[in-house]
Amino acid sequence: MSLSSTCWPEKELHLSHLLFLCILQLEMEKMTKVSTISGRTMFCHLDAPANAISVCRDASQVVVAGRNIFKIYGLEEDGFVERLNLRVGRKPSLNFSCADVMWHQMEENLLATAATNGAVVTWNLARPCRNKQEQLFTEHKRTVNKVCFHPTEVNMLLSGSQDGFMKCFDLRKKESVSTFSGQSESVRDVQFSMKDYFTFAASFENGNVQLWDIRRPDRYERMFTAHTGPVFCCDWHPEDRGWLATGGRDKMVKVWDMSTNRVKEIYCVQTIASVARVKWRPEQRYHLATCSMMVDHNIYVWDVRRPFIPFATFEEHKDVTTGIVWRHQHDPCFLLSGSKDSTLYQHMFKDASRPVDRANPEGLCFGLFGDLAFAAKESLMTGDVGRKTYPGGDRRYPIFFFKKPDVTAQFAQVSSALSVFESEAGSSVGMDWFINTAQSYLLSGKPFAELCEHNAQVAKKLNRLQESTTWTMLRIMFSEPANPSLSTNHNLNKSGNLPLVNSFSMKEMSAALNERNKENRQDNIHSLETNLNNNDENEETEGSEGQAEYLFGDAELDDDDLYSMEHDNQAAEEPEYLLPQEAFPLRHEIMDHPSAPEPVQEKPESPHVSGSEAENTCLTPMESISLISVSQLLFSPHLPPKFFCPIVKEMLCYYAEQGDVQMAVSVLIVLGDRIRKEIDELMQEHWYMSYIDLLQRFELWNVSNEVIKLSTCGAIMCLNQASTTLHINCSNCKRPMSNKGWICDRCHQCASVCAVCHHVVKGLFVWCQGCSHGGHLEHVMEWLKQSKHCPAGCGHLCEYT
Amino acid sequence: MFVAKSIAADHKDLIHDVSYDFHGRRMATCSSDQSVKARKHSFVWDKGDDGEWRCTASWKTHSGSVWRVTWAHPEFGQVLASCSFDRTAAVWEEIVGESNDKQRGQSHWIKRTTLVDSRTSVTDVKFAPKHMGLMLTTCSADGVVRIYEAPDVMNLSQWSLQHEISCKLSCSCISWNPSSSRAHPPMIAVGSDDSNVTYSGKVQIYEYNENTRKYAKAETLMTVTDPVHDIAFAPNLGRSFHVLAIATKDVRIFKLIPLRRESANSSGPTKFEVQVMAQFDSHNSQVWRVSWNITSTLLASSGDDGCVRLWKANYMDNWKCTGILRGDGSPVNGSSGHTAALSTVGVPGTAQMVVGAASAGRYFFPHLDSPSTGSRLAHLLPPPSLIEQMNEPDPTHATQLRHRHMVNSSNQPTDIFLLNDQ
Repeated sequence: MSLSSTCWPEKELHLSHLLFLCILQLEMEKMTKVSTISGRTMFCHLDAPANAISVCRDASQVVVAGRNIFKIYGLEEDGFVERLNLRVGRKPSLNFSCADVMWHQMEENLLATAATNGAVVTWNLARPCRNKQEQLFTEHKRTVNKVCFHPTEVNMLLSGSQDGFMKCFDLRKKESVSTFSGQSESVRDVQFSMKDYFTFAASFENGNVQLWDIRRPDRYERMFTAHTGPVFCCDWHPEDRGWLATGGRDKMVKVWDMSTNRVKEIYCVQTIASVARVKWRPEQRYHLATCSMMVDHNIYVWDVRRPFIPFATFEEHKDVTTGIVWRHQHDPCFLLSGSKDSTLYQHMFKDASRPVDRANPEGLCFGLFGDLAFAAKESLMTGDVGRKTYPGGDRRYPIFFFKKPDVTAQFAQVSSALSVFESEAGSSVGMDWFINTAQSYLLSGKPFAELCEHNAQVAKKLNRLQESTTWTMLRIMFSEPANPSLSTNHNLNKSGNLPLVNSFSMKEMSAALNERNKENRQDNIHSLETNLNNNDENEETEGSEGQAEYLFGDAELDDDDLYSMEHDNQAAEEPEYLLPQEAFPLRHEIMDHPSAPEPVQEKPESPHVSGSEAENTCLTPMESISLISVSQLLFSPHLPPKFFCPIVKEMLCYYAEQGDVQMAVSVLIVLGDRIRKEIDELMQEHWYMSYIDLLQRFELWNVSNEVIKLSTCGAIMCLNQASTTLHINCSNCKRPMSNKGWICDRCHQCASVCAVCHHVVKGLFVWCQGCSHGGHLEHVMEWLKQSKHCPAGCGHLCEYT
Repeated sequence: MFVAKSIAADHKDLIHDVSYDFHGRRMATCSSDQSVKARKHSFVWDKGDDGEWRCTASWKTHSGSVWRVTWAHPEFGQVLASCSFDRTAAVWEEIVGESNDKQRGQSHWIKRTTLVDSRTSVTDVKFAPKHMGLMLTTCSADGVVRIYEAPDVMNLSQWSLQHEISCKLSCSCISWNPSSSRAHPPMIAVGSDDSNVTYSGKVQIYEYNENTRKYAKAETLMTVTDPVHDIAFAPNLGRSFHVLAIATKDVRIFKLIPLRRESANSSGPTKFEVQVMAQFDSHNSQVWRVSWNITSTLLASSGDDGCVRLWKANYMDNWKCTGILRGDGSPVNGSSGHTAALSTVGVPGTAQMVVGAASAGRYFFPHLDSPSTGSRLAHLLPPPSLIEQMNEPDPTHATQLRHRHMVNSSNQPTDIFLLNDQ
């Protein structure tokens, strides 16, 4: 695929008029040269690890240099072709072992290497013999780290060495023409400025960067500390005269603006490993490529305006990348790299991986109270209509093929907006219901029926009708005849059947027995009404007419039961057969006008006489609950509460699977032994654990502790007994209390005496951490209303928080 | 249902993760700008008096993009873990003590450990459920899941690498099964963002085997072939089965029902019956995040469309969309100044403007004078006229409207939900 110059992003020419002609020339050159470059991502194996690579000006050949390799490869369309091995001779001298290499950008036959033995060697490819070595400068005393040709002057070569000196060579002479002493530590990199003829930059191991004028070897022009730790590399911006990028062991790449009086850091990129090489990307003003010295084998291309995430990554190398170079000085899409893994790669920019595409642009989290925290890239939030559905799909095209020139600009300008969606009080997503329920439910301390009743009311108040109904049903199913609240029905119990009236009567029934006027009945049934209303609502919303019919039809089966049962009841209540007669029309009415609550008041109990157990089990649990209510009266006379256990068990499982473990556990506790044996111990434990965990999340410690205390699982009971140790010191002698009583065995005084009332405090004891005096919570609170001082009279200004 | 509050994020690059703590009062965000910020909520629940989110700490955590941040159970202290592009994961602990920072309302977080075992970007970090002890899991782009344990919970600087699971595919996200039941062995789901669709099974589930003391693959969800960006087990809450939400090119909800073992001593991993409960592509784009509410009744997902969608199941286990939230406050009540103001959220002074521009006053909390916080309505998709009417004081009326409004938002009758919602 070929590039035409029209593809290039518009260049900003920050150049003086003097250079204009030159630029024009360059552009022309670019058009001719660059358009011939093509290729793909490719690699070849080298014989040995590479230390550095350099490319010739027309981008047709690359030289690879290393300790044991010095070769020239041709860059062909579909692969590297070895052109020349410069490492000749039977036993190559150390001069062939290179730390750095540079191909002259003006003279295409000229190369320079920095040998590891401290020699600077030049090579002339035009030499007719096999050994191309031309000049050898052995002036440095230690390893030469870097060699650099002047970009426009043919014969000028600069070297920087571990010995702390930089030398400038004229290739026409046998010796260096000038020596620059950095007067600091080893030189890691030297670079001629691209635009200022006389200037070069040198970076040092002590973190400094120096700017020199080639004509003044006596002292540097400027010096500044660029990094903490060694500065391994520097690179002048190809276009911006004053921009110098430096990379150091502190894992940072910094871009400095040298054009001002004070050197200014304008960008700083934090990479994940020490930076070994940095190279500005041609034609992309803000891009630079880096590779690392250790650990990290990848090559990153950064947009310095977005210094946190690489613009592109090349991940091919298996070992440390030692040399990177853009293939052509005006071509941003080919990068060559050599590595310690003995490979030479040509990377196509379009094949680079883009970390930003994999980085997710959004964060989302549900809070405990139903709030949602949502962070998203702002461009997503504002909802670009024309956005591509799958952004990853665009990766096949290199960035510069886009007609929009602002792709890189888009990359650079990102931010996220963070918002919290707070659940409204009382909305379905909030968790207030959970907390209210947890706090208001009674789990123990009262007779079973009252607990159920109370909890039903709580659920009803919180508008949780299903739960409310469940509690009512449970009360009906499991209320025992001997329940003290049902004292009026003792006579019925003798019949051996569960009294029908139990289920609805409670205390009011006694009144009903005596007076039996309509008003009273209306009162009596108020709890029933909720049931009926629930049923109505359920049926209405579910639209399950079929079930309603079913329910009605089945009732006929049970007529006998119904009559006999009613008979029992009426025997107690005198008016015989009144109930059944009223019952039938009423049932019709309910079916026909399910929303009308009025019919209920006529005779509350009877409409429920229908349904069958088979139905109950086959329906969805929610409906089965409503049907339990219907069927219960029918069966209760004959069936022990145990009969309902399978259904209740199923119901509890249903609640648990619906995520309402609260209900499951509450019912489990309230029912206690009635249901406990029916349910798998492991499952119970699981429910308890889940519920306790939830309670603790909501910081409902008291409820949580109550649940732990009331639980019957061994594993749960011990939860609040483990790992809680209280170390008590005697408040008088300040020694640890060893015995269990209230009297300290050392000073023989009562330990925790209330400072206000001088009695031993049993229960809540509050004390000042400053003077360790304290007492009953109420007493101390009262005391502190009047005085700030310690009630014990020690004079301490107590603080109770 | 929701009131949207915008928080001046102050991150210099993309925010990649938001995480609430165990009690829902603190929030941590992490960003590509290599920092983590912790926020605290002055939240008084009883009064319904919601406070502001205030940034209490912000510190540089890594030398690369920070992908995820997660809180440990508070029993172990105020502990955060973060993972990053720089190939490390780190554990942070908040230090309570006397310092000048306290006066400025800043808390101090110190690094307890850096986990450097990964050779590639660490893409997710999660603490294991509390009942397993203090354990931390990381997954990395080279497909390795690592499970660390702090043998001494009081010493957060010592972590030993307990398990290394090789998933073969580049991992992007992990989720622990939160079930504390003894019937459920520890289980971890791993999602892969490998973009090669020919490798199917981008979600793998590993289970701890008590006998071999190793994690073994229990299940691979072969139907998931596209890159997976996020994965989340629903809070278990006493269920016998597990529910797993997956963010890939759509939202998927899987149900994993453990099958009974034939014999008690069978050493193999649990077999699961895998059911797809739901699959939605309403985002019409990549889905990036999924998150469950605490009762696991509501799933939130966010996608490239910039919306958060809420999903809820009815009693028949039919999942439906119950709400769409737009975080950007795009036109809600038609006031043009509203949107304009929002683009400058966080700039002092604009918050007042937002308040002025908003007509639905009921939806705004009183503390809007903080310059750093703008506020706006969540854009719930039914027409704003409905929402505005809800300002009426009559609660029953408002409830009715809400019902209607919810029905509208899912375009289908959702009567059953309504009952459950109460």
